[in-house]
Amino acid sequence: MAETRSCDAELTAAFPSIVQRDTTQREFSHFLVSKDLLPAITRYLHTRQGLHGRLTLLWAVDNRPARNTYGLHYLFTLEPSHRWVLLSTELAGDDRLFPSITPHIHAAQWYEREIRDMFGLIPQGHPDLRRLVRHEHWPKGTHPLKKDFPWDHILGRQHGEHRFRRIEGEGVFEVPVGPIHAGIIEPGHFRFSVAGEPIMQLELHHFWTHRGVEKLFEQQPLAAAVPLAERISGDTTIGHSLAYCQAVESLLHLEIPRRGRYLRSLFLELERLHNHLGDVGAICNDTAYALPHAHCSRMKEQMMQLNDRLTGSRFLRSVNRVGGVALDLTAAQLVEIVAELDRIEQDFSELESIIAHNASLIDRLETTGVLTERTAWDHAVVGVVGRASGLDQDLRRDRPFAAYDELPVKVVNYRYGDVRARMRVRMDEIHESMRLIREIRLKVPQGPVAVESSRKAQAGEWALSAVEGWRGEILYMVMAGENGTIQRCKVRDPSFVNWPAIQWAVIGNIIPDFPLINKSFNLSYAGNDL
Amino acid sequence: MFRILKKSLKTGVVTGRHPRATQPSEPLTPEVLKKAAAFNRSLTIREVDTGSCNACEMEMNALTNPVYDVERFGIHIAASPRHADALVVTGPVTVNMERALKDVHKQTPDPKLVIALGDCAINCGAFKGSYAVTGPVDRHIPVDVRIPGCPPRPADILKALTDIQKRPLPA
Ligand code: SF4
Repeated sequence: MAETRSCDAELTAAFPSIVQRDTTQREFSHFLVSKDLLPAITRYLHTRQGLHGRLTLLWAVDNRPARNTYGLHYLFTLEPSHRWVLLSTELAGDDRLFPSITPHIHAAQWYEREIRDMFGLIPQGHPDLRRLVRHEHWPKGTHPLKKDFPWDHILGRQHGEHRFRRIEGEGVFEVPVGPIHAGIIEPGHFRFSVAGEPIMQLELHHFWTHRGVEKLFEQQPLAAAVPLAERISGDTTIGHSLAYCQAVESLLHLEIPRRGRYLRSLFLELERLHNHLGDVGAICNDTAYALPHAHCSRMKEQMMQLNDRLTGSRFLRSVNRVGGVALDLTAAQLVEIVAELDRIEQDFSELESIIAHNASLIDRLETTGVLTERTAWDHAVVGVVGRASGLDQDLRRDRPFAAYDELPVKVVNYRYGDVRARMRVRMDEIHESMRLIREIRLKVPQGPVAVESSRKAQAGEWALSAVEGWRGEILYMVMAGENGTIQRCKVRDPSFVNWPAIQWAVIGNIIPDFPLINKSFNLSYAGNDL
Repeated sequence: MFRILKKSLKTGVVTGRHPRATQPSEPLTPEVLKKAAAFNRSLTIREVDTGSCNACEMEMNALTNPVYDVERFGIHIAASPRHADALVVTGPVTVNMERALKDVHKQTPDPKLVIALGDCAINCGAFKGSYAVTGPVDRHIPVDVRIPGCPPRPADILKALTDIQKRPLPA
């Protein structure tokens, strides 16, 4: 706490005009800032020795009709202490302009373009003002998250084409890929510029699967939106539903029973396991080494069948609910989980030694798709990808949620940032998750798994929540509206911050290695596009 | 080498080790069966995601794992619509994917089947009514087979796909 106060004092000393809000109820410091001061203060937070602030979330809120303003909120994580600092500013009346912080905080780039698309607010000084979420055929002036934009509006179509960044010169070719890809994967467009084999530039053109999720949240009651959160990125059902539930629970001041918290951790680790198992195999498969893929997808299938037996859903759907979890596990089921994991761990360890002894595979993975620590930091990369590039961060340890305050997690960290490092992070995390689940079985207390809420959230109250899903940090900001509705729900899947970083990891690699690099990131299109 | 052989022997055959399909699939119309007869019991599929949450994709992918091993029924996943007999479409058809879906449908040679996989593709599911969604699939292209579920289990998908391969009853 003392450390926090010194950070806060440092900030108010450097910028006397900012106002600190009382946040004794919350786990972060909150400052009101005038918009002109934003670039200076964010830069200070980001670069100052000892603060080292990483942009964690940037969101806007349309406060109408209650107040004729737009709110802009910048959340930073101070790396040394993992504390959150939130800066808020308001654009009053007809003011549509705000200063861009992208020129010195690279990680803000997509957030600011997203805000422009969704709210029609313009980040002045942003180096790239092309559309991001709205493809060029959307009519001018359509900004879906403005309060006067009906959620079921039928969009017209205008003529327009996306302008890619061009490299010109002798022997430079452009290779367009997507939106529909060759495998069974989600849609996205990649535009490569190559001279000979090496990639000179890759540009992403995403948001094909934009379904208007954040607007759909605003049509739902607070307590009933869990199924929607589960369907943001199907492979992260638990991660998203947990983050959503936690945000609502802090709005309702709910204290989750310990057994419920333990079970949440258990399900989160189960989700991590089946996804990581699949990814390890898929990375090998993209080097045309099909054997580990066959074994891994078999183990993944075993995990998903286990999920199905435990909960009636292979993806652990309908497990989380506001107030806890919707089902309890018997002692026999816990034993069954651990027995299955023991078998799979043995199985997987044998496979690991096969993989490690395959020199041609390792040769293919090493030094491929290097994301340096510096680039990763500049993009505020999170999760598996960050941990493979030397960023030592994991919310389970840094800001414990569910039962992680009682379950210390050994955070995996590699430095090289290549495909192999990303695969090794996953392999080590598989063992760590299994260890955690065994520990959960030993420690899980008896008692209820959920509580009911009696309180109603006041309109305008909001809460933040963060969960370390299997891909990385999932963040939710939920603001309550009138009569138990949702005024605004900001969703941030880890994919949204990691996608731009891939553009830098591929440079200098050859196009045939791109699927491999992409697989080693394994980002969600649906979670990114919302 | 020895390690690999040992592993394979130890693992044995896992194909078919999955729970049975539970969901009754929709009966196929005689027209669909007649169309499918042209493929002579093989079926080459192009999968198109038009805005799904990716769980339906994961279940399609699961079909190719050793447990379901869909290839043993002569069902292949093609990389291009030009090679496909059937399109499997998932997701509610977003505004941004509408064109791409129509393009793919046009590029698939006749005769072709369109299979709507998952509740989203059938009725837009959780995303119904959104400004960003123009679906369901049959608003844009004719749909022959529907496999409901959110997501349907691989066993159910497998059952529905193998049903298509059955010969039509003689008139
Ligand atoms: S049907 Fe369900 S699982 Fe399939 S894409 Fe839609 S929401 Fe996801």
